[in-house]
Amino acid sequence: MSKLAFMIALVPLLPLLAAAWIALGYMLGWNRGEAGERETHWVALSAATVAPILLTATGLYTWLSGGSTSYWLGAWLDLTHFTAAISFRLDALSLTVGVLFSVILLLVTRFSVNYLHREAGFQRYFMILSLFHSGVLLVVLAGEALLAFIGWELAGISSYLLIAYAWQRDIATYNATRAFVTNRIGDAAFILALFTALSFLGTTDWQGLFAAAQPESDLMMSLIGFGITLAAVIKSAQFPFSAWITRALEGPTPSSAVFYGSVLSHAGIYLLLRISPLLEQATLLSYLLFTMGLATVVYGWLTAQAQTDIKTSLIHATLVQTGLMLIEIALGLYTLATIHLVLHTLWRTYQFLHAPSFMQQTTKAVEPPPLWLRNKTWLNAAALQRFWLDPIADSLLVRPTRKLAQEAQLFDERIIEPLTGQPGSSNLLAILSRRPTIAGSMPSLESQVGTGVGVLGVLMQWAAEALEWFENRLVLQGSGNGLSRLTRFLGAQAELLDNYLRQPRYLLVLIAATLVVIL
Amino acid sequence: MNELVAVTVPLLQADFPWLSLLLLLLPLGAGITLLMPAREARWTSLTTAIAAFTVSLWIVFQFDPQQSGFQFVERSPWIPSLHIEYLLGVDGLSLLLLPVTTLLFMAVIISSWNAMRFLPNLFFSLLLLFEACLIGIFSALDTALFFLCWELSLLPLFFLVSLWGAGPNRRHAAVKYTLFMMSGGAAILLAFIALAVQAPEGIGFDYTLLLQVVHQPNFQYETAIFFLLLFGFALKLPTVPFHAWLPVLAQEGPASVVATVVGLKVGVYGLIRFALPLAPSAAQDYQWLLVGMGMLSVLYGALAALSQTNLRRMLAYSSLSHVGLVVLGVASLTHAGIQGAIFQLLNFSLIASGLFLILAFVHQRLGSTEFLNLGGIASSMPLLASLFFFFGVASIGLPLTSGFPAEFLLIMGIAETHLGAGLLSLAAMIITAAYFLSSYRQSFLGAVRHAAVAQSVDLKPRELAALWLLGVPILVWGFYPQGLLSILQTSSTDWLSHILMQQ
Repeated sequence: MSKLAFMIALVPLLPLLAAAWIALGYMLGWNRGEAGERETHWVALSAATVAPILLTATGLYTWLSGGSTSYWLGAWLDLTHFTAAISFRLDALSLTVGVLFSVILLLVTRFSVNYLHREAGFQRYFMILSLFHSGVLLVVLAGEALLAFIGWELAGISSYLLIAYAWQRDIATYNATRAFVTNRIGDAAFILALFTALSFLGTTDWQGLFAAAQPESDLMMSLIGFGITLAAVIKSAQFPFSAWITRALEGPTPSSAVFYGSVLSHAGIYLLLRISPLLEQATLLSYLLFTMGLATVVYGWLTAQAQTDIKTSLIHATLVQTGLMLIEIALGLYTLATIHLVLHTLWRTYQFLHAPSFMQQTTKAVEPPPLWLRNKTWLNAAALQRFWLDPIADSLLVRPTRKLAQEAQLFDERIIEPLTGQPGSSNLLAILSRRPTIAGSMPSLESQVGTGVGVLGVLMQWAAEALEWFENRLVLQGSGNGLSRLTRFLGAQAELLDNYLRQPRYLLVLIAATLVVIL
Repeated sequence: MNELVAVTVPLLQADFPWLSLLLLLLPLGAGITLLMPAREARWTSLTTAIAAFTVSLWIVFQFDPQQSGFQFVERSPWIPSLHIEYLLGVDGLSLLLLPVTTLLFMAVIISSWNAMRFLPNLFFSLLLLFEACLIGIFSALDTALFFLCWELSLLPLFFLVSLWGAGPNRRHAAVKYTLFMMSGGAAILLAFIALAVQAPEGIGFDYTLLLQVVHQPNFQYETAIFFLLLFGFALKLPTVPFHAWLPVLAQEGPASVVATVVGLKVGVYGLIRFALPLAPSAAQDYQWLLVGMGMLSVLYGALAALSQTNLRRMLAYSSLSHVGLVVLGVASLTHAGIQGAIFQLLNFSLIASGLFLILAFVHQRLGSTEFLNLGGIASSMPLLASLFFFFGVASIGLPLTSGFPAEFLLIMGIAETHLGAGLLSLAAMIITAAYFLSSYRQSFLGAVRHAAVAQSVDLKPRELAALWLLGVPILVWGFYPQGLLSILQTSSTDWLSHILMQQ
């Protein structure tokens, strides 16, 4: 039994070892350059060959012996009230998808041997490919959500490395960063699900999670379901999160495109199929999935009509299919979704591997977008611009964060460093990027002391008015107008604060602070 | 003392003074190194560092993780009139800090092998003295002895930064750092005195006895003690309002020395060892304050790191953010939180130090760590760039590196008691990935812009070896965190039950 578990553990471990071996070889210099190509691809290929064979053999054995489908290897994190273990699960779903992904990755590895011949990054490429292979197999075979998350992250980082494969080009590295950070949102949601599972159930074992999923189950189960679902739909680039996948096409054609065309974008679908017993109990999630799937189908279909290059239109065609799978899952047609996944993955792999030679095979001119779409100019423009998903994300998330970051820096430079008498940064860019100070912050004297804005302002105005009265009655009869200057100063400061508070990002910070206090 | 025995801390006497050996070895090596000529000095210092590492490993293997309380205890009177003792010992929480410290100093010595232009013997000798002070901090069980080591550690650091610093303001940075820490030290001393006068013998500094004193019904000044200790250690951590020294030190100091300051978070250790256990009910009352402080540091550090234009400053703010998460873990007062905190403390000395050591290599080659002067490093120095990436993804908590289990436990711990803070630290996790990858992109990837970058040579075997020393434990603990956690288990349970115990 434990020997079998060890064999199954070898399936994702072998490609990982291959990756480690290649990295070690590069570091110590024995496989660099063209001379090292032979050894590099031999190592990667043999790991990629043995993995599916081993998987099929153990799968067949499990099936024939009719024994248990889960294999427990040992504790990975063992605290007093929860345990996360290394365990694997070999049922019909994981076996089918595992063999499929692993065979596809074997083919891609073989294909790349010729495709990348004499490329400068040959060794790096095969290291990344093996790492990805290992990560994907871990996601598929894991018997625990935590173990699946480890594979998930390995796949994520290798996807980053692959998109940034041509790291001399700024656009490639920018897109890689963008794709990774987008996926990081999904990772955070995944961790939330893991936390919920561990702290309420004490385990992240799939079996344990499903056992706890009762019809009357509550918020906790939906939180787990929601976290994993969010991670899955982001990885599969479903509708509001679709923008990253077009950026991801920067990697070497066609091998990276295979990731996004087939294996990686279907990993999300696999994860949803894996947690289907959870989804069945959470009706709200099913509605969410259905809506997202539908939106993705429409989005993918429309944009695919208008795109002007083969890789982008192919990836949007992929989105249509994964969107359909999402709908199937939402409706509870899991077997259909599984078959759909298998067939579509195979077909799309073929198509993507073919993409570089399309140029030679096309004989007639490329067809323009259909007439009805061209007639509706606004729709055509929207489809061509991929519904401005990227700019929207920019203005909603990226820019406010950047602003906030600049202000944190400004706060450090202007307030904390002078307060503590630090020499300050001899930092050229920071000085250049200093924002102009808010000018004209003196209030206009409309009422007696000035008009306050917002709650703080109004409060301050009242205080100032009371002081004004006080001043008129007492102080002005005495000496000078020092107090009136003070109130005016306070009013100005309050308005400055108010100005800041009215900007949405500060509102967000305040909400965050409130969250900390309340929860 | 007879009515005090509420919970006595078990003390296992050492059969051989291993800790003293460690504390003796290092200053001795430092002295010999100082007397050696420049070339031989580094060999003696490396030999001393290796010997210290071996001894600390031996201590780890002799340690029994099942046993609660302190082990390797050595006790002899020092100043009998004040009941100050020379009292050493380690428990599960401090045990692993010893080998990690000695390992780090080994790596630092190897990596600054011929980086020092003048007086290398003084440099290496001060480095060993600093190491001795840190070992003293981690193993002292007498608050007076701890305080002595705490203040003594400022001395070598002051000279290391002001003499071999990289920036034009290095003297200023060194003076500021020392002044900051002195003011923190004053608060700590005051707190220790307030505790000492309540000891059973009239006055006493024995930490293990003070642990029992704090549960006595007539224990006084608890809130004041807590705030004094918190202030002292918060300066050293640092947390947000007190962090100004860190970016300056990171920018002005020699990167290899900064690696030890950023890597060995003695402030967190002080918080865990002294501030919370010596004022347990105040710690519970002001849990919200600790959580708020930690949360502020996490977000503020991450955001500030996003807008830095210098790799050293970026790493300084990132370390601020990571320390904030550790404070959150400690403040959560949960099993996951405290174990994650210690785990992350060990990680810092591997990951954050590794990153700073690489920056030392970069600085040595290019004379700068500003983004403007870098760019395209990966083309001429692929190994350096890939190792920076490796340590970087470990710092953002990628699975299979030790950063992941530690960060995961910390988030688990804090989300258990303060869900809102847990959610926010998840958000900070996203920003962490953003600032690391975008600064990596700007300085290591892209086209080569400067001739200096194109002409630089990649890591030499010696430098590679120094980084491997730190990289291997990252992978080992990342693959099998349970091995490390099982050492922490007993002590962290004791720690937690001590604080949560009601009078």
